[in-house]
Amino acid sequence: MPRTINASLSTRPAPDTEAFPFEKERRRTLVSRPSVSDSVFRSVAFAAGGITVAIMLAVGVFLSIRASDALGVAGFSFLTEQEWSPESQSFGIASVLFGTITIALIAMCVAVPLALGTALLISEVAQGRLRSTLVTLVDLMAAVPSVVFGLWGVFFLQANVIPVASWISTYFGWIPFFRVSDASGDALTDASAFTSSAFIAGIVVGLMVVPTQTSVMREAFSQAPIGEREAAFALGSTRWGMIQAVVLPFGRGGIIGGTMLGLGRALGETIAVYMIISPIFTINWQLLKTGSNSVSALIALRYGESSAFGLSALMAAGLVLFLLTLVINFTASSIVARSRSGAESD
Amino acid sequence: MTPKTRWIRAIHALFALSAVVIVSLTGALPAQAVSYDPISGSGSTWSQNALDQWRTNVASNYGMTVNYNGGGSSTGRSDFIAGVVHFAVSEVPFQLAPENGTAPEVPTRGYAYMPIVAGGTSFMYNLKINGVRVSNLRLSGEVVTKIFTGVITNWNDPAIQADNPGLAMPDKGIVPVVRSDGSGSTAQFTLWMSKQHPDLWNAFCTSVNRPTPCGLTSQYPTFGNAKAQSLSSGVAGYVSQDYGEGAITYVEYSYALESGFPVAKVLNQAGYYVEPTASSVAVALTTAQIDQTPGPNYLTQILDGVYNSADARTYPLSSYSYMIVPTEVGGVFTAGKGFTLGAFANYMLCEGQQQAADLGYSPLPMNLVLAGFDQIKRIPGADTTGVDINKCNNPTFKPGDSPSSNQLALTAAQPQDCDKVGPNQCTTGTAGAPAETPVSGSGTGGSATGGTTETAAAAAAATGGAAASTGTAAVYDANGALISGGAAGSTLAGAAVATPFALADEGWGIQQSLMLLAATFLVAAAVLPPVFWRRLAPRGGRDGLK
Amino acid sequence: MTLTETTLTPAARSTHIPSPDGIAIGPRRRVRSARVGDRFNVLGAAAAAMALATLIFGWVTPLSGGIGWTIVAFLSFIGFYALLVSFTADFQEVKDRVMAVLLSSAGVVLFGALVFVVAFTLVRGQEALPHLNFFTESMEMAGPLDGLDVGGILHAIVGTLMQIGMALIITVPLGILTALFLNEVGGRFARFVRTISDAMTALPSIVAGLFVYSAIIVLITHQRSGFAAAMAITVMMLPIVIRASDIVLRLVAGNLREAAYALGSTRWRTIWHVVLPTARPGLATAVILGTARGIGETSPVLLTSGVTAVVNLNPFEGPMISLSLQVFDFVKSPEPNMIARGFGAAAVLILLVLALFAIARLIGGRGPGDLSRRQQQRVVAASLRDLQRITIRGDLRHPHQPAPLPPAPKKKESSS
Repeated sequence: MPRTINASLSTRPAPDTEAFPFEKERRRTLVSRPSVSDSVFRSVAFAAGGITVAIMLAVGVFLSIRASDALGVAGFSFLTEQEWSPESQSFGIASVLFGTITIALIAMCVAVPLALGTALLISEVAQGRLRSTLVTLVDLMAAVPSVVFGLWGVFFLQANVIPVASWISTYFGWIPFFRVSDASGDALTDASAFTSSAFIAGIVVGLMVVPTQTSVMREAFSQAPIGEREAAFALGSTRWGMIQAVVLPFGRGGIIGGTMLGLGRALGETIAVYMIISPIFTINWQLLKTGSNSVSALIALRYGESSAFGLSALMAAGLVLFLLTLVINFTASSIVARSRSGAESD
Repeated sequence: MTPKTRWIRAIHALFALSAVVIVSLTGALPAQAVSYDPISGSGSTWSQNALDQWRTNVASNYGMTVNYNGGGSSTGRSDFIAGVVHFAVSEVPFQLAPENGTAPEVPTRGYAYMPIVAGGTSFMYNLKINGVRVSNLRLSGEVVTKIFTGVITNWNDPAIQADNPGLAMPDKGIVPVVRSDGSGSTAQFTLWMSKQHPDLWNAFCTSVNRPTPCGLTSQYPTFGNAKAQSLSSGVAGYVSQDYGEGAITYVEYSYALESGFPVAKVLNQAGYYVEPTASSVAVALTTAQIDQTPGPNYLTQILDGVYNSADARTYPLSSYSYMIVPTEVGGVFTAGKGFTLGAFANYMLCEGQQQAADLGYSPLPMNLVLAGFDQIKRIPGADTTGVDINKCNNPTFKPGDSPSSNQLALTAAQPQDCDKVGPNQCTTGTAGAPAETPVSGSGTGGSATGGTTETAAAAAAATGGAAASTGTAAVYDANGALISGGAAGSTLAGAAVATPFALADEGWGIQQSLMLLAATFLVAAAVLPPVFWRRLAPRGGRDGLK
Repeated sequence: MTLTETTLTPAARSTHIPSPDGIAIGPRRRVRSARVGDRFNVLGAAAAAMALATLIFGWVTPLSGGIGWTIVAFLSFIGFYALLVSFTADFQEVKDRVMAVLLSSAGVVLFGALVFVVAFTLVRGQEALPHLNFFTESMEMAGPLDGLDVGGILHAIVGTLMQIGMALIITVPLGILTALFLNEVGGRFARFVRTISDAMTALPSIVAGLFVYSAIIVLITHQRSGFAAAMAITVMMLPIVIRASDIVLRLVAGNLREAAYALGSTRWRTIWHVVLPTARPGLATAVILGTARGIGETSPVLLTSGVTAVVNLNPFEGPMISLSLQVFDFVKSPEPNMIARGFGAAAVLILLVLALFAIARLIGGRGPGDLSRRQQQRVVAASLRDLQRITIRGDLRHPHQPAPLPPAPKKKESSS
């Protein structure tokens, strides 16, 4: 409480710890009177908090109100309809949401092993200057703009990943996800069948979220208690044995939290996905095949040509994405907070 | 150089410089005296290249600031309705009563359509035969429709082969690239399909769960192997990538010119395959009907005549692009903005048309310029004193011409004989890919480059010989015996053409098993001896190693 | 620090600080250096793996392609390495070695990929960057067919700086004050604010853009403008800045605050003279990293700023493009010159972000309480002087129990 303690304590220094005088005197009341600067600060800070909340709530409430128009029309079919045509009243986010989630999951498949490995490398293997350089590099990479990743994805990765995708689909085509076939079920081998796919977008988004995940995981690992590490070594453990027995169990919260935080970012990524994918409005189970979609790419694609109702439908889609990210982020932070490491998730 | 002469030179230079400055200032003063409010617009990417050029020109000549954001015609119309732009550009008018069940687009403020430029919706493609880029592809309207409705899916389809007797069409999948955003190009193209090939188009609409008859649409449905990309630049960009081989898209001619890729010649009613050059578009649009009844659709185009024009020089997918200008002050649109918009429009209709052909468009004819002048006068705040048909420096007419004539159409050359339906096929390139394509099919080639029409056989022999010397497998002598059997020739040629990217194998087979076995033996040969050696070695040796 | 605490406790009276004199200090041993055999294992496995991959690819099977070769070589390297290690070690050690290799390769792959992404952009940007006009001109006078010697990205650079500047004017005071509110004022409302702002970090940036587009542009200003873009960036950046500042402020040691209160200072004076100065480097880092995110985001700007080719200094009227959006707009074109400009603009954007990051490192690389070497030395010297003084006073008070004098402050012992 920002109050000045207005009690007149005796200025005489206490001669010894054994003889505190307050037991013998009568109890005093502590009357507090806020100073002017304090009350000004308090009200300014309160106002700042209030403005922040007002902005945030304005976003949330505005989105919800505008979205309710479209949701009222579409009803439950908003979640099951694949086509997006708000002008003719048939629209839903089944295919778009499916695309968003597949891209994010592919991104996680790329990002999590890399992030976990690199975080362990930084916290357990690298020493001294190398470690601090790597930490800086990871933080730096988290700030690289997403449009740069998009450029790389379109102008480099797209052309160079085609043989890999084609190879996977040829030899692992018996797994439904990896099959690339046309409408009649024949396998496709043309280069163009593998471009603009969820797979490519997923790789790019994966690389984009690795730095975030790495730094959260590294933070958690580096807090593993030194005593337990030394105990593991003293019992004859190898370094990997120590990591298995001490660091990983200790940092489990950090691993889960970091993964989910990355997942949240991957779900909301717009521009790189928009640049790479070829948007379709059907559910495409063939991840290597051209065509996917995501909620944010849909908004970027359609906001300009939408009527008022179309905008409302887009806001409903945005709201669903927001809620999804929100659930993931809160789950992540509660997992991190409850874990032993208790590392901050950001 | 002595210091003295250096001084003298410096003084001379100073004088010269100040003279230049004074001259330029006095010269520039009248132009700079008029100050223009900046205006911004959005819409069509079909005509964006022209608008970008004009925007640059008025900025350097008049100090006028025009911002243009190409986001697609649908975006332009939507922005105009929302009142966030001063003008919009679109190929199709506001859909006041759409046929396909979507909500009507009703602007709340007054507006007028003003034609700004003509052009051809072209079919830009990326196709190679034996590694040589094809630049002379010919397609009939039906084949185009079938490609973009998923009926024809391979380049060696007999229908495409029949259009191109001079090419041995490769066994390669067709990748139709369509627009993912709402677009005027899509609207023009689907309008043409719905008028010319309604059965194919409606069958397609049914297959993608759209109501029939579906008429024109701004949102192309995705289907089969089609790719969807946003904006004209997006579709053109996809086609021009290496992995875009086998792709074809519909885009304004200018994009093909700019990115260095060919466009397909499209068959017209007179039986000629025609490229969408400035003159063929101008000829085609002489048959366009312009809605002259005052009302919401005043000056909009009715293109049925263009689709079916009997003139041999016609490119059937020609159309106009429109600027939508406000006729009322309100919102962000003020009289000051109207002044700039009027001056910009006047520039576009007259001076700006000079560059249309170079950019890949076709200049507006006189009747539309006159009608456009009437629309300028309706813009609030526009200065109409400079609007004069006799001072209009437009390449399609001279002062004193009759409004219905078009100089470009009058002087347009007749198409070459090798562009006529038949076994001859021109070898000259199109659009941004001027290189000749060697004859590889059974038909004969012809060249349109010469001033006089050469005999087709001679040209074909020359190109055939040249191509044969490169050593490609599927080149046929144009004068050979194969000339009669088109189908036989195509299958033979097709068989010899390898698909560059396809893998030779399909999944796991005996070959793969053998390969794996061989690799396993190799690894075993490297790994097993030391392991066995250690097993067989006496105990002491192992302990010693530890 | 620990030294001071232990001597201050009452038990210190009976504790003798051992004298370092007379104890022989041997040479420091390196405990983690690799043995010669280990190095040979790595080299041998690498050689074998490359040989095997080349054999398989060129000789035994008709495979081809660099990526396949790399994968086969890597897998066989792991295999050979495990085999070689297993000759001299047990299973646990083999596992340890193989995992060390896997961790290192994860790091190499990740950093290789990330550095490659950045380097790719910089290298492709070299076509446009040497032209001076690229930095001094806008695209106003450059038509679709003009070469790289005409036109540049001045308008985008100006737009970026103006938009991020406006966003910072709002987010920095508001964000830091809110963070102070959360930490220093507290209460039920503060908990609510924290929950809301945490929730808003989940807001996808495109949704922030969509909000500004439909709430501000369509309803109020009726035009896309730099101001609208700044608002979208603000909505996106504010939760990031609040959260980061909150963490930094939370790290300010509680005993510093308590010391200030104990000296009778008011809450505001404590914040102004103790909390904020302590947290300043951290706050600067938080703001700069938020700025880097805000500059790089394209999606909120895509919906709100509009596209222009002209330098626009008026944020309230007319479109104002930013660098990231300009990159996106350039590379959409199929024309090679435009793509070269796009890469050039992306390179400028990267360099801008790198510069910001370097500044952040320079002024705020450390958390509060994490001192530079010189500061540490000063602190240690001061606490040793205190210790000496206290010990001497203690000796004066209890002359019957002489405690050995602590050693004179030496810089060598500053490491704890």
